Parts: sequence; structure tokens; C-alpha cells
Amino acid sequence: MPVFTRTTKNLIIKIDEFFDDIDLGLLVFREGIKAYLDKDMDAFQRHLQKVDYLENNADRLQREIENEMITHSILPQHRSEVSTLIDELDEIIDALKSSLNEINIEMPDIPSSLNKNLISLAETSINAAEELIPAARAYFKAPYTVREKLLKVYYFESETDKLSFSTKKIIFQDMNELDLAHKAHLRYIIHHIENVSDLAQKAADLLSGMAIKIVM
Amino acid sequence: MILFFLTSGLFLGWSLGANDASHIFGSAVGSKMVTFRKAAIIASVFFILGAVIQGSGTSHTLDKLGSVNAIGGSFTLALAAAITIYMMTKFALPISTTQAIVGAIIGWNFFTGNHTDSITLEKIVLAWIAGPVIGAVFAVLLYIAVKKFKNSARIHLIRFESYIKTGLILVGAFGAYSLGANNIANVMGVFIPAFHLSDLELGIFTLNSNQQLFLLGGLACASGIITYSWKVMNTIGNNILELSSEAALVVVLAQSLVLFIFSSTGLSNLIVKTGLPPIPMVPVSSSQVIVGCILGIGLYKGARNINFKVLGEIGLGWIISPLASGLLTFFLLFFMKNIFGINVGTKTGESAGASDVTSNLTTYGQNDVSGIIKYLLMGLLIFGTIGIIYYALLENKKRREMQRSEEKFWKNMK
Repeated sequence: MPVFTRTTKNLIIKIDEFFDDIDLGLLVFREGIKAYLDKDMDAFQRHLQKVDYLENNADRLQREIENEMITHSILPQHRSEVSTLIDELDEIIDALKSSLNEINIEMPDIPSSLNKNLISLAETSINAAEELIPAARAYFKAPYTVREKLLKVYYFESETDKLSFSTKKIIFQDMNELDLAHKAHLRYIIHHIENVSDLAQKAADLLSGMAIKIVM
Repeated sequence: MILFFLTSGLFLGWSLGANDASHIFGSAVGSKMVTFRKAAIIASVFFILGAVIQGSGTSHTLDKLGSVNAIGGSFTLALAAAITIYMMTKFALPISTTQAIVGAIIGWNFFTGNHTDSITLEKIVLAWIAGPVIGAVFAVLLYIAVKKFKNSARIHLIRFESYIKTGLILVGAFGAYSLGANNIANVMGVFIPAFHLSDLELGIFTLNSNQQLFLLGGLACASGIITYSWKVMNTIGNNILELSSEAALVVVLAQSLVLFIFSSTGLSNLIVKTGLPPIPMVPVSSSQVIVGCILGIGLYKGARNINFKVLGEIGLGWIISPLASGLLTFFLLFFMKNIFGINVGTKTGESAGASDVTSNLTTYGQNDVSGIIKYLLMGLLIFGTIGIIYYALLENKKRREMQRSEEKFWKNMK
């Protein structure tokens, strides 16, 4: 009988571990961006490797969680939604890894005058995703608190949009010393950072619907 | 010949299994918390146990309504009820076996000129009304309690669902037991006055004549559950109201409690000891009770997502089933008596001379039936054991293959 097996306990541990990976990945990504802007390439490489490891681990956990839910017929009514949520969260850590990899390959030349703006942009974008994790955890333990937790996700996402807009405006309107290719490259890097909060918002929309369904 | 007369009862048992027994696990299977295979095995085993251990209480009530005094009559009654149920099940309408058999008994009373005991009929109809109402009240109260517990305990969703899943299995087993105890009289009750089998010694316990009939009926129900209940399970589980897992548990528990209340002589005696009137031992309609439970929860949740069309169809089935069964019984009895010349029963008090054929049949065939039951049990024991071993090996093989494929996947990924 389900209550007498360890499957439930193992699955809960795996889901928690998956959330921990995403949470840690966000932290490391923020530090990675800071290290790149500070031109500390050793620290940047270390952070890149760490995100790579966390992403691989998250992929493994995602597969195990989905397998166990299907094999042991766990959460039959919410299974597809939980799987989609985990998939959306996995996309966030995938985006973190690919962004750091792109930076590592392309080595964008970021003017030091933009450091403050980009750090602020990364902080806000990461904050949006970080606020998503407690809401996702709450879905399993206190679903009626999910929606209030998600408010912060939406707030940080909109702040990210504003910061992204103002930074791009500075690049294209105030920094006449940069050529168009350089400006376009910087815009591309900003899109990468901004993308984290967009993915967080997408997951938040899903989570919000899931929470209503489970509370009703 | 006596075995031929029993076939209609067995057919009725099969119909009961396909239709009424599916209500026990319908919500659980419909909400995909329990697999159909697991549900069918548990329901079958516990239905048989309930029928054999506690099935006699409600059979007395049906006996009072109309004591069918010829085996030909019992055969025709059960056949008419079974045909009615089969036809309704064909259209995936969860109808009541209780109503079909009561309709058939009244049809027999009309045909033979016997008086229908209005007090007993009133008691049965009242229980039919009380069943869904009590079920709805139980369901709402249990649902509130479960919801409160879920919100205050802050249990992890996955752990909570595992408790619900275990609960569904345990409550389902209890429900199947209660259904067996309450409804077996519908299947075999009409054969009891015509059958007098010798006691069957099975080593650790002995089965009397009634219990042997109930065992046969239970086995027929089990075959109905395994072969045909899937369709009705889906009607109950999904069509009336989309059920959450906790609502599924509550529905089965509320229904089981109602069935248990109306079939437990022990509980009734306990209530009498406290100075209250006894609970009538009436076979209630599990279809009506389950719909009452689901409706109760639906109303509590605001009646927004209740499929009233399906409810209307079910309500129509309730009116049609006793009427159709009664009419069909009347016509079948007419054909049996006038065309095949079979004694289908007489007015009470005139039966002494008329039922000679029945008496002969009963005496002649009783040892055969007991012998068949004995071999049937032995066969079931052997096949059951082989089945369990085969299932365990198959599951083990599947698990090993899954593990191997997973290891291979991660090896290739590296």
C-alpha cells in the first residue's frame, strides 16, 4: 500500500532537491554575472561549471520525478500540471546555463559605465525567479498561500522590464561612441538576463492556475 | 436441472457486480487514484466476504415482501431483474438492483395473487429515500472534516495523496464488504425459501445453506465486477461531478457507512439497547446512495460543476427499473407457467400440493450444488495462488527492466 512504501518520501525529497538546485542555480548565476562584470574570469568559470552541474542534476531529477509519478500512479489528477511546472522551472535553469555559456563564448565587451545597470537588471530578474521557488514549494504544502507569494514574481518581472528598457535606451541613445554591432550585442546580453524573469512569469501563471484548482 | 434454475440468479449476481459494485470504486477509479485491476480484485474478495458473513440480515426483509415458494418463480424473478439491469447497464445508466428485484417480487405477487406487505414495502421505500439523504449528509460532514484537516495539518500534497490512496483502498474494501452484506439478498434472497442445502464443512468453518447460496451469488458478482464494471465506474467517477481525490474517498466512505448501517444487525441491536428504535435491515440502493453522496458534495461546493443531465438520466432509470422489472416478471411468469408448464409459485397457503416438482428438484440437486461449491472454492484457491505468484513475478520483471533502462539512459548521457 502506498502509505507503507518509501516511494512517497523519496519523491518528496527529489522534488525538494530539484527546487534547491534551481534556487542555487539562480544564486550562482547572479554571482557569475557579477564576476564577469568585475572581470574576474576564474570566478566566472567556477560559477559556470557549478551552474552546468546543477542543470545536469536538475535534468536527472526531473526525469526521475516524472518516472516515479507515472510508475507509482502518484498525483494522477495533478500529475500533468506538476510535470509541466517542473518542466518550466527546468527551463529557467537551462536558460541560466545557456546565458552563462553564451557570455563565455562571445565574451561581450561591456562598458564599465553599464556595470551598475546590468547588476541591477540581473538582481531584479533573478529576484523574480527566486520568489517563484517558495511559491512552488507552497503549492505542495499550503496551496492557499501560493497566489500571495506570486505577487512578488510579477512585481520583479515588471521591474526587470523597466530596467531593461532604460538600459537599452542608454545603450542606443546615450552611448554614441559604440558602433551598432556592439550595441546590438549588448542588447542581446540584456535579453538573456531579462529572459530569466520572463520564464519565471510564465511558470508563475501556470502555478497560479494550479493553486486555484487545488484549493477549490 | 436445479443448476439451470440457479443460472438466472447467477446472471443477476453478474449484473449486480457489473453495476452496483462498481459504485464502490467508481470514484476512486474515475479519479485515477486506484487502478481498475486493483479495485476489481479488492471489491470481489470483500464483496464475497460480506455476502457470506453478514448477508442474512437483509434477506429476511425481502422474504417478508414476497416469499417465492417455487424454484421456477425464483428463476423467473431473478431473470427478469437481471435482464432489466443488463439492458440499463448497456446504456451505462447506474440503476439499482434493489429496485429491480423489488419490482420483480411485486410482479410475482400480482401474478400469483399474493398480497404485497405494504408495511415492508413502505419500510423499503423509506430506506431508499433515507439512503441518499443520509449519504449526502455523511459526505458533506466528512468532506468538511477532510478539508479542514488538509488545510490545518500542512501535509505535503504527495504525502496527503498517498494517505488518500491508502484510504481509498481500505474504505473500498469496507464498502465492498458492506455492499456484499447489504445487497446479496437481492441476488439470492428469492432462492432461499426454495433451497435447503446441507451444511458444507470446509475445515476451519462451516457454510450453511444460505451462506452457500450467498457464496455462489458473491462469485457471480465478482465475475461481473471483473468483466463489465469498467464502463459504469467511469460514469460514476467522471460524469456527475469531477471528483477530487479527497472527495472520492469521502464518497466511498459515506456510501459504505450507509450500506453498513442498513445491514448490520449488531449495530441495530446496539441501538435498541440504548432505547432507540431498531434500524430496518433493508437492501438499499447503492446507486442512489452514491449519487446522494456526490450530489451532497456538489451542493456544498456550490452546485456549479454538477452535470444535471446525467443526474436526470439516472433519475429516469430509477423509475423505469422497478416498473420494467415488474412488468417483465409478470409476462415471463405467464410464459413459464402456460407455455413451459413450470410451477412458478402459488398463493401462500395453497402451495403444499402444487410445489411437488420444486421439492423434488431441490432434494435431488442439493448435494450437487454443495459439491460444486466445494470444487469451485478449491479451484479458486489454486488459481488465485498461481495468479498472485504470476502477478508478483511480472511486476518484479517490469521493475527490473525499468531500472535497467534508466541506468542505460544515464550511462549513455555521461
